[in-house]
Amino acid sequence: MPSSISSSDSRVVSTSGAERLTAADRPGVAQPVPMRDIPVQPWNRIFLGALVLFVLLMGAWEWHWRAFGAKPTIANSGGLWAMQRRRIDNGEGNATVLLSASRILFDVQLDVWEKLAGKRPIQLALEGTTPLIFMEDLAADPKFTGHLLVGVAPDLFFSGYAYRGDVFKFYLKETPSQRVGQWLSMHFIEPYFAFDDPDFALATVLERQDWPARPGKTWRIDVRKLRVSEMDRNTHIWDKVENDPEYRELARNIWLQHFTPNEDTPPPEKMRQTLNEQIDRAVKAVTTLRARGVQVLFVRPPSAGAYLEFENKVLPRARTWDVLLARTGAPGIHFEDYPELQGLELPEWSHLTHADAQRYTAALYRIIERDFWKPEPPR
Amino acid sequence: MVFNSLTFVVFFALVLALHSMPFGWTTKKVNLLIASYIFYAAWNPPFVFLLWISTVVDWYAAQGLVKAQRQSHRHAWMLLSVIANLGMLGYFKYGQFLLDNFSALMASLGVAYQAPHSDIVLPVGISFYTFATLSYTLDVYLRRAVPARNFLDYALFVTFFPHLVAGPIMRPTELVPQFAEPRRASANQLRFGLALMTLGLFNKVVLADSFLAGAAEKVYDVDKIPGALDAWFGTLAFSGQIFCDFAGYSTTAIGAAMCLGFAMPDNFRFPYAAVGFSDFWRRWHITLSSWLRDYLYIPLGGNRHGEARTYAALMTTMLLGGLWHGANWTFVVWGGLHGLYLAVERVLRTRFSNYRPGPLAFVALGLLTYALVNLTWVFFRAKTFGKAWVVLHGMLGMNAGTKPILATPLLVFVAAIVGGIVLTHWLMRARTLESVVARAHPAAICAVWALMAFAIVAAQGEGNAFIYFQF
Repeated sequence: MPSSISSSDSRVVSTSGAERLTAADRPGVAQPVPMRDIPVQPWNRIFLGALVLFVLLMGAWEWHWRAFGAKPTIANSGGLWAMQRRRIDNGEGNATVLLSASRILFDVQLDVWEKLAGKRPIQLALEGTTPLIFMEDLAADPKFTGHLLVGVAPDLFFSGYAYRGDVFKFYLKETPSQRVGQWLSMHFIEPYFAFDDPDFALATVLERQDWPARPGKTWRIDVRKLRVSEMDRNTHIWDKVENDPEYRELARNIWLQHFTPNEDTPPPEKMRQTLNEQIDRAVKAVTTLRARGVQVLFVRPPSAGAYLEFENKVLPRARTWDVLLARTGAPGIHFEDYPELQGLELPEWSHLTHADAQRYTAALYRIIERDFWKPEPPR
Repeated sequence: MVFNSLTFVVFFALVLALHSMPFGWTTKKVNLLIASYIFYAAWNPPFVFLLWISTVVDWYAAQGLVKAQRQSHRHAWMLLSVIANLGMLGYFKYGQFLLDNFSALMASLGVAYQAPHSDIVLPVGISFYTFATLSYTLDVYLRRAVPARNFLDYALFVTFFPHLVAGPIMRPTELVPQFAEPRRASANQLRFGLALMTLGLFNKVVLADSFLAGAAEKVYDVDKIPGALDAWFGTLAFSGQIFCDFAGYSTTAIGAAMCLGFAMPDNFRFPYAAVGFSDFWRRWHITLSSWLRDYLYIPLGGNRHGEARTYAALMTTMLLGGLWHGANWTFVVWGGLHGLYLAVERVLRTRFSNYRPGPLAFVALGLLTYALVNLTWVFFRAKTFGKAWVVLHGMLGMNAGTKPILATPLLVFVAAIVGGIVLTHWLMRARTLESVVARAHPAAICAVWALMAFAIVAAQGEGNAFIYFQF
């Protein structure tokens, strides 16, 4: 950097053969207007050729993913979540809000709910993420005075795991440019292109090839694409999970990996401590919400197979769900307590089929209306 | 807004369309100025006021400098500009850092003082545009330049969106004259400019964000102790990531300016083929290193006042250059290490002035330079000294009983991409991109361009901010 140490090694020449200098070559003087040479090439032909080739490559890429079974879907991005969250800021504070990890996101169908309730709820559930962060946010927001349904997936709710926790920070700090980008993407890109899905991103696809394992490195397969979403985050399971036995098996095997302890599994004492901390957080949030007149309802959506066995073994109801309801004083709906919420199909043990999600939503809403959130009497 | 966003695609298309309309030159410049403010306000509209303050202060300071009759008045105008710009930078960038360090100092003296947490938000690009406006006043003060003829040209020099938030740091003499006469890109300039933007975005979206950032994050942002392989690969990944991120930004900026008919200077010259550290700084972030040389190192005395003063000026420049990158002592250490490298190199060059390395020794010295640069990246990337030591220990093979962190595909990506970057830099070290493109077959350019564009779209970047925006 200093002018005192000269180096003749960095001299470079431009297309004309003349030496091309930079500010590094001109210490202590006014820097002149830069000269940028354009390589002599048939740029018109090159541009058109590159454009045609690009379109062909994109066409092939889109065709490949459509052949795989993908259809265009709205990305479940931080921007999309923030749009829904802002509805509370913008005059819909008395709405019904759904919080949860992916189960309420996949299992509650907004169309069915709207048909029965007359109003469409705000879907704020996020996959792989404890709803506690968002409960605390709503508890601190005096604008929210509506009804709150909180889904409880034991392994996420009681561990505090927040795979998409960054979404909340995104909502707080979203820039005008990001808002415009979200709007452009959800109107002009996502509804038309199946390849536009995080699962089909170039690096993700390459990383998921059959690489030899590194000795000593525990290899875990990432959770694969499971959902299809709409603009207001109404979401259901991807039909490939329902209809493709191989893909369904892959999805199940991915869950199975999490049921075996590994080096990242916390010791039992730590797990107990974390569980108690999560319930403490829930108690505080529910107390604040109820003091403001918000009706809070916990819902334990169905799970099945090895997933349910794991939950019952590691996070049994008596130590989790029952304690949560007892300590918060909030009511709850556990699928095991209601015959109408049982007997549904969960292709990969954690989420309902699209058809059963519609049945589940209707049954759940009727229970809520009958036993918990009674409609206001006509005045 | 960031270059790698849909918003920018639409914004840039509109700017290009407006710029090619048959308006008068002044109208076109006003359009560019408004567009640049929109570009900046798209992050956080209130921060446009800071940009205005910096712009207006230096405009009047330069006018005052020209009119001042006495040297003391010239000093005063110059100091006004320096204090206003560095004061703004100091408050927003270093305010909390200074308070925290003051608390720590008091604690070490046994005084209990808890600094308030101020939640100051760092305005994006403030380090870049304050340096640009400062160079305007300082060039007038040093009589290297005359003030711009009108406020519009000057304001556009400060605000011109391609360089506004992350450089290249422009000098007034490089850009203001370009606003004097009507400029519009020729068809070839427009196409080559678009090709440069594609190359820049490929570096950022595909190489830096999609393939290299993950490995660096797994080593640096996770509470695990890396062994030698993971520590080296995490650091090599970051060396590739920061190059592709920042050089990618500069290339996109140069391309965007070219599409509008303007020329911006090179900011990178294949730095990982540098042999020695003076060579490295002639190739890495050239506009910053030359800014620091012209406005800090030379005014501090440079090499004109004996050896001791030269080394003191060198270390001061590099330590402050490190601090410019961020309000953390790790950046100061990064700068200090580079200062130390430069000082040692100066000693060696003086002592072995007749030494001319053969081809093998030349390459070996280049690889040694790259390895030592990687050691400095550890302090640049680690958020704390604790983490930096853990990674350095790993790189030196001193972390026993570690478990592997990076899986096979990440190791392969890092080896292939960083190996490719270093090899490319060696092949290109005495050339320009343009000279290579000029000799390439058109079909090859066509294919590479299309493949890069395809990879950018298929990579589905999330619009991650460029690393240097935080500086």
